[in-house]
Amino acid sequence: FTPKDTSIHYYPSKHQSINGQILNMQSNTNRPQSSHTSTSWSSDSGEPCGTGNKWAPRLLKECARAISEKDSSKIHHLLWMLNELASPYGDFDQKLAAYFLQALFCKTTESGQRCFKTLTSVAEKSHSFDSARKLILKFQEVSPWTTFGHVASNGAILEALDGESKLHIIDISNTLCTQWPTLLEALATRTDETPHLKLTVVVTANIVRSVMKEIGQRMEKFARLMGVPFEFRVISVLNHLGELTKEGLGIQEDEAIAVNCIGALRRVEVEERGAVIQMFQSLRPKIVTIVEEEADFSSSRHDFVKCFEECLRFYTLYFEMLEESFVHTSNERLMLERECSRNIVRVLACDDINEGECERRERGSHWCERLKEAYSQVRFSDDVVDDVKALLKRYRTGWALVLPQGDDHHSSGIYLTWKEEPVVWASAWKP
Amino acid sequence: MVEMENSSPMTVSTTSGGEASVSSSGNQIQAIQQPVSIAAPKKKRNLPGMPDPEAEVIALSPKTLMATNRFVCEICSKGFQRDQNLQLHRRGHNLPWKLKQRTSKEVRKKVYVCPEPSCVHNSPARALGDLTGIKKHFCRKHGEKKWKCERCSKKYAVQSDWKAHMKTCGTKEYKCDCGSLFSRRDSFITHRAFCDALAEETARSHTTAIANADTVKSGVVTSPPPPPITPSSSVLSPGLSIQSAEMPENPMRLSPPSAAAAISTTTTVATTPNSSISSTGVLAGIFASSTTLKPCHTPPPPTSSYTDMICALARSDYPSAAIEPTSLSLASSLYLSTNCSSLFPAPDQVHHRYNPSAQPAMSATALLQKAAEMGAAASSPALLRGFGLAVSSSSSPCQDTDMKLQNKAAAGFGLGLPSGDVMMGQSSLLGSKPTTLDLLGLGIGGGGGGSSTSGLSALLSSFGGGGFNVGAAAAAAYGGGRGTSPGESWEGGPDRKPHGPTMF
Repeated sequence: FTPKDTSIHYYPSKHQSINGQILNMQSNTNRPQSSHTSTSWSSDSGEPCGTGNKWAPRLLKECARAISEKDSSKIHHLLWMLNELASPYGDFDQKLAAYFLQALFCKTTESGQRCFKTLTSVAEKSHSFDSARKLILKFQEVSPWTTFGHVASNGAILEALDGESKLHIIDISNTLCTQWPTLLEALATRTDETPHLKLTVVVTANIVRSVMKEIGQRMEKFARLMGVPFEFRVISVLNHLGELTKEGLGIQEDEAIAVNCIGALRRVEVEERGAVIQMFQSLRPKIVTIVEEEADFSSSRHDFVKCFEECLRFYTLYFEMLEESFVHTSNERLMLERECSRNIVRVLACDDINEGECERRERGSHWCERLKEAYSQVRFSDDVVDDVKALLKRYRTGWALVLPQGDDHHSSGIYLTWKEEPVVWASAWKP
Repeated sequence: MVEMENSSPMTVSTTSGGEASVSSSGNQIQAIQQPVSIAAPKKKRNLPGMPDPEAEVIALSPKTLMATNRFVCEICSKGFQRDQNLQLHRRGHNLPWKLKQRTSKEVRKKVYVCPEPSCVHNSPARALGDLTGIKKHFCRKHGEKKWKCERCSKKYAVQSDWKAHMKTCGTKEYKCDCGSLFSRRDSFITHRAFCDALAEETARSHTTAIANADTVKSGVVTSPPPPPITPSSSVLSPGLSIQSAEMPENPMRLSPPSAAAAISTTTTVATTPNSSISSTGVLAGIFASSTTLKPCHTPPPPTSSYTDMICALARSDYPSAAIEPTSLSLASSLYLSTNCSSLFPAPDQVHHRYNPSAQPAMSATALLQKAAEMGAAASSPALLRGFGLAVSSSSSPCQDTDMKLQNKAAAGFGLGLPSGDVMMGQSSLLGSKPTTLDLLGLGIGGGGGGSSTSGLSALLSSFGGGGFNVGAAAAAAYGGGRGTSPGESWEGGPDRKPHGPTMF
């Protein structure tokens, strides 16, 4: 099937023409038409040509369905169309289409693993301390997506370890230590006797590892500036987080331990998650803070369409958020979108082999069920909630903090919502 | 602001808002804040917590100290803080009223101790001379913090502290050494931690620190000595900016001459009719005490007490050489500003050892924030240097700069004062004007136009680089993976695309 049947060239910037072309395509093609497709496409004709947007989710979902049904001609047709319309530098739908198309294509051609590796190595080549720092700081400047979890976790940690003189925080995250300057400052100002802080960072993403040395140096300097006695250590665990031990982390008997886990649990293979949670317990922490993004790519991992739709829902939200938070020409936004594209490929087109970076998110309530087996919930205090609310006030409108409903045993923690959709979940636990 | 000494009850004028020191027997009307009237001798002001040995020590109960309106009108139950106010109010009810005055010419000064046993002000030797002062102290240190700022969640026990904070919260801006401006404190702190300015200064100071290792005070040196961190963040209040202090790398010694110079100018500041003159008065006292205590000698060096007094970050188990530079120059900026009320527990101590329980621990940034809160943080770097960092030893390589700076400091004082607020002439002491919204510290000096262009060019270059690479890689992947429908060719795809590189 080649497009030469139609002599029309596509210019995706005009959405009216897209809808028109779709209709033309339908009539010109000599493919076997399943009733499924004709109904979905004929619905287009009912729409006024003015509403040209949102074509991307439609087409993408169509394609995902076709893939799960193994309808190869339809698959190819849709892939071709999406390819024509998509662009990572275009408008919102074009972007969405481009990144998801990549994953769909990889899924179809079973090249997900290779594509992911390529994308990752491309990203790593252009990655440096400066670029990473710029990216994360800029993101934190314009959006509370990450700082929400930082503020909540820091608050819980400070309260749980209040009065201790030797603190040891196990930071399992890829936040490049952006969470810690404010904690250091709080340690220096709030408590009468500034405690000694040891920070052991467990890095789970390859791309972060290379910059951790520089990050560490900056943190040490900053701690000196703040007047906090400080020790810093980095451990790289790309896989098998569950194999960490007390000794491996350098935990001493007289230290008060906090385990801080930001966006790290989702990178653990689904089957190993219980073991990792148990492992935290073996470290004898006084508090465990967990922050994750609110999406479910785990329970649906054997159902491609369901997983795809959830993926599309979540990343549409995320991309929208990026679009509204950054300026239009922002390079940082582009970098973040590319990072998403890698994750999308990982979730949709790669098998869950033991290579770490699984990226299968779970909803807060699911994490709760897992965590409740080993820990009891720690409510965020009113002060911490106030701090988070004050944080959100400092950003653009659209963000809100939502406490879980009632006292039900299902969920705990707090949610960050963007336009009333929960997007990030933060919680605290104690053994 | 009028002093009253006469005995007629009808000619009383109330003091305006300022803090009037009233002994508990309530028998005098006196406005303490302002220079006293011609009749009475000038009130000698002691150091806070260093009372006049002749004074009468009064211990009030916590209840009394926390009570706000002890004097209640019997008619309408309205409460007043002072008996005089109640009496005047009674006038309005046509009730008989009486205003008591000073019974004798020589009234014994009263000082107050804090009822909290663990507090340093519990001892009569460290009593405070001001009733309102002891009330506020008790509330602040030992009271429940009932007042909370909505914007930043900061809590206060004393309502007036909270009100003062609310005025400035959210209005101040933070400026990093690298030129970036921040309206949010947390993003300022995070930026600061990763800012290149921090890295550079440490590198610079490190070499000279090693050179001057011999002047580092004993008990502090670890080998190699930790480089003193220069305080390179500053707080920008509206219309002003404090350029950060570039510190001489040797540890501080207050040389008597420079301190004296600073003191003399400080006392001038003290008499400016501004709010909370107590701060600068105390400052003068600090300088005085520090110079009397130690005219230049070696351990324990003058710096430690001075640092303590400015509530440094120094902790007993931590090499404080690294900390002092920061707190010194930053803290000294605070002394120039008005109402340092919440800061002042710290200067009460003039002992060498750091006493954690008595002072609020303050970080460099907190000190900076306070400086901004106080509004007129008007110091210049020269001033800061003149204050605390004057070098006495001749081995200092920066000595000539310091001399220059000290002169500037004195001049700076002179400059700032006449107008009545502690404000420096902006033009004379500021460096370059702040770059416009260079949040990333890229140093794009051209202003708005510059930053947008660079952003766009970065984007364009990323188009060329990233896009093609991905496209090529994906094409290779595709080439390898093409197996599903051999009969169909997709090569037409990329060619047909009228715009930009694609996924394929």
